[in-house]
Amino acid sequence: MAEIFKSVVNLISAVAIPMFILIFLGWGLIKKVKVYEVFVEGAKDGFNTAVKIIPYLVAMLFAIGVFRASGAMDVVVAILSPLTNLIGMPADVLPLALLRPLSGSGSMGLMTELMKTNGPDSFIGVLASTMFGSSETTFYILAVYFGSVGIKNTRHALPAGLIADFFGMLGAVFIVRMLFSL
Amino acid sequence: MLNYVWISLLLIGIFTAVGRDINDEVTNTYRNGVPLTSHFETQRKLAAVNPSYEGEIVIPAASFNQFYNISSAQTEIRQPAVLTTLSSGKQRIEMKISDATPVFWKDMAKAAGGKEKLEAVVNSVNTGNQEITFTLEKVRYVKIKAVTKAALDFADTAVTISLGLIGVMALWLGIMKVGEAAGLLEQLTKLMTPITRQLFPDVPSNHPAVAAMIMNIAANMFGLNNAATPMGLKAMEELNKLNPKAGTATNAMCTFLVVNTAGLTLIPATAIAIRAGLGSADPGMIIGTSIFGAGCATVGGLVAVKLLQRLPKYKREMEVAETEEKNG
Repeated sequence: MAEIFKSVVNLISAVAIPMFILIFLGWGLIKKVKVYEVFVEGAKDGFNTAVKIIPYLVAMLFAIGVFRASGAMDVVVAILSPLTNLIGMPADVLPLALLRPLSGSGSMGLMTELMKTNGPDSFIGVLASTMFGSSETTFYILAVYFGSVGIKNTRHALPAGLIADFFGMLGAVFIVRMLFSL
Repeated sequence: MLNYVWISLLLIGIFTAVGRDINDEVTNTYRNGVPLTSHFETQRKLAAVNPSYEGEIVIPAASFNQFYNISSAQTEIRQPAVLTTLSSGKQRIEMKISDATPVFWKDMAKAAGGKEKLEAVVNSVNTGNQEITFTLEKVRYVKIKAVTKAALDFADTAVTISLGLIGVMALWLGIMKVGEAAGLLEQLTKLMTPITRQLFPDVPSNHPAVAAMIMNIAANMFGLNNAATPMGLKAMEELNKLNPKAGTATNAMCTFLVVNTAGLTLIPATAIAIRAGLGSADPGMIIGTSIFGAGCATVGGLVAVKLLQRLPKYKREMEVAETEEKNG
């Protein structure tokens, strides 16, 4: 069952982009849209959007970089680790839970490290990879998405995004504990 | 909130770095100026006349750990090194950083300026038992240097990432524009109206933003990251057209963002690939658990965003915006 699901999703992922291009441009052709001209017209905005993101992403990434390079994460982990025991989260994966919303590449490295030390099929290994797959890099998305339209006051987006991350981590711990019948 | 989180990251980072460097200085973590004695293994016997030797510095793990007050060294240290005699008669040691280098020395070399080697001044050579006593170069302000480097490097990374988006952005925006002109986006929007009306009540159900958001979410589900970001940004652009006050996020934008940060995907491809690389017996076993985890994140995030938008503080930020709009 899981295998069928996996192969179906993989198939769709593989053909999605060519199909998408085919359907969109083909439909345009049928509707007598001047496809080339319209495509180029739309593509022009690609540069502007990318450039608009720069200041927002610089602000976000450099702050995260400073925080990570200072080793402050160890301090935060030490403060929070008594709390993680309450929800059944092993202390080993706490840094991953904290880093996940901050840095995509950083949390990927940490996940790999945890699986290397504990084995990919161990409780910690499965939990680490599940946690990595249960959330996205909130701060990066916030900077890029809001940056592209010049949003500076992000209102409740960040707290809500962090609550989402928190629930993702809780959900991961819950389901993996169940899987290992802990 | 972003203001405070942002400045906290910076302040905590800098203060921690300063604190750690002061601590390193006080406890002399890197044993600056403290001589270390080791066996020096070479082909030739050590003698006063030979100007240069290639060999290995050999230190038992226990002595190394004791010297630095650490526990990371597991095996005997065998560090390739070159001993040279300068014209002044002083002797120096140069250690090339390699796989044989203990982690602690690797970190020290990195902290000493990101060099590929560590240098030491030789205090004395005992030709009788092939032992040398040397003092390593001073290592200082490790964390402060790391913070400085990170700030500059990440500013650079941000630009690289942004510019790297240009190509895919242009491609997808071009295709989307054709879909828009052909009326395909409208068709797609109609199909999903029952769901989107619940999630984004402020967005008219026939608005192009809806189509872009649906395509972004679908692309995320199938792990098409290259397509998801441009579509998401297109959606933000469309949502911003409905924004009464430029520069402030609307409820719909916040909701859309939360759906994205929860990152619901059917196949967590990165994690599976890494698991496979590390020899997992069943790399795909996390598909189910990840969908569950990301599902929790999505539901929790959506409930949170809908509750938070009712808070007077966040309501006011939009209301103020509307009054300003009227006055302006």
